[in-house]
Amino acid sequence: MTTLAPEKRLATRGPTVVSLLFRPFDYIAGTQSLLIGIVSILTAGFLGSLSRTHFDGVLDMHTGLAARRALFLAAGIINWLSLSVVLFLMGKLVSRTAFRAVDLFGTQALARWPTVIAALAALAPPFQRLVARLNVQLSSAVPAGGFSVATGDLVFGGLVGLAAALCLVWMVWLMYHSYTVCCNIRGGKALGTFIAGLIIAEVISKVVLSRFLSA
Amino acid sequence: MKHDVMITKWMVKIMNDLPTLCPSCRSRLSVKRLTCEKCRTEVEGAYALPPLARLSCGDQAFVVSFVKASGSLKEMARLLGFSYPTVRNRLDGLIERLAEAEEGDEKR
Repeated sequence: MTTLAPEKRLATRGPTVVSLLFRPFDYIAGTQSLLIGIVSILTAGFLGSLSRTHFDGVLDMHTGLAARRALFLAAGIINWLSLSVVLFLMGKLVSRTAFRAVDLFGTQALARWPTVIAALAALAPPFQRLVARLNVQLSSAVPAGGFSVATGDLVFGGLVGLAAALCLVWMVWLMYHSYTVCCNIRGGKALGTFIAGLIIAEVISKVVLSRFLSA
Repeated sequence: MKHDVMITKWMVKIMNDLPTLCPSCRSRLSVKRLTCEKCRTEVEGAYALPPLARLSCGDQAFVVSFVKASGSLKEMARLLGFSYPTVRNRLDGLIERLAEAEEGDEKR
């Protein structure tokens, strides 16, 4: 009787597109994810500086801020570190097994890659026109005729907003997946500690970023 | 892709899990008879299955690969095409199942 090598018995057919999009950390973690993740964060920050879109909190995305490019770049790093440190401590508290910091920090960095798409979408000219027009109208006294924006720009703006919201939901899912895979936590314990960690990290990132802005 | 499908089909053919529990009362099964494949000599007795033999075929294949990779999870991750934490989690699950099996042995 012929027998298969054990590693061939265990090997799968390779990741599908769906699993790479929604369960990427089954296949990638550690230094590789850390490097790609940091590049993604900085790319999102750079694109954000062009479209004046800033990620001013772990879960926040706002547009229209005029600031130095360094702030756009730093915001992504602060958001990433806030959540990674909190989840690392949560994992140490509740996980029954040992895990590597580089896996959690790396996959949390990579989990932020949908922000690149969101920042890219915000670069679209109709959306930029809409934001510029709204900024001008909101900064001055309300005109007698009310606000006026082109319908096409308004529809496009709505689509960009929807795309950005979907990207943020996808990002949160990736953050959760990273936490469960890297810390080996499942079920209610994983969900509860992740939500708590997300809230704590959101507060921390907001405080740090507001200090950064006022500096 | 074709090769992968063939491997998967073949796995299903040869990788039947060894039954370890009685289908009637769920008590642990033991080996009663062993046969020499060459001369057909048969040995009868009551041989308890060791904990490793009670694992699923997938888990047993993992253990063999792990030993062959000199216990390196990094090498295992490379061989299997999974990330390090995924392989680490699989090992943790296996350790848990082995601990449960040993606990069951002590209670008996």
